[in-house]
Amino acid sequence: MDDIRTALAILAILIGTGFSLIGVIGFIRLPDVYTRLHATGKVSVFGVVLLLVAAALITPVGAGRAAVLILLLIIGGPTASHALTAAAWRAGIKPRGTIRDDLERDHPREP
Amino acid sequence: MLQQVLVVVLNVALAIHIGLIGISVYRLWRGENLVDRLIGADLVTTLMLAILVLIALIELNALYIDVALGLAALGFVGAIALAKYIADERMF
Repeated sequence: MDDIRTALAILAILIGTGFSLIGVIGFIRLPDVYTRLHATGKVSVFGVVLLLVAAALITPVGAGRAAVLILLLIIGGPTASHALTAAAWRAGIKPRGTIRDDLERDHPREP
Repeated sequence: MLQQVLVVVLNVALAIHIGLIGISVYRLWRGENLVDRLIGADLVTTLMLAILVLIALIELNALYIDVALGLAALGFVGAIALAKYIADERMF
C-alpha cells in the first residue's frame, strides 16, 4: 500500500513541477500582459496544488493542513489573477494583437 | 527502492523551482511596465510556496505547510491590494 502512495506522490510531483515550468516559460515568452497573467495563473493553481496532493499522500499527518492550503489556493489564485487583469485593463494597457476590444465598447474606461 | 526515487525526484523538483525563481526574478527585473513586475512578484511568491511544500516533503515535517499557508494568505492579499492600487491611480 505504501509503494502505491509513494508512486502516486512521485507522479504528482513531476506533473506539478511540469506545470510550474510551463507557467514560467509562458510568463517569459508570451507577448503582452494579459496572456502572461493567463500563464502565471496556471503555476499557482496546478503546480502547487499537485505538490500538496503529493504532500498529503506522503505525510498523512499533514493531510488536513494540505487540504486547507489547497482550498485557499484554488479560491485565491484565480481571484488574484482576475483582480490583476481588471487592474491592468483599467490602467490602460491595450491587449496586443486583438482586432477589437468589446469591453471598451460596452464599458468605456472612465478617465 | 521507491523511497530513494522519491528523494531524488524531490531534490530535482526543488532545484527546478529554484531555477524558475531565478528566471522569473530576472524577467521581473526587466519587466516593461508596472503590471508585469507585479505579476512577476506574484509568480515568485507562488514559486516560493511550491519550494516550501517541497521542503516540507524532504524534511517530512508538516510545519512547513503551515508556513506555506501563511505565505499563501499574505501573497494573495498583497496581490489584491496592489491590483487595487494600480487600477485607481494611473502611474505610468
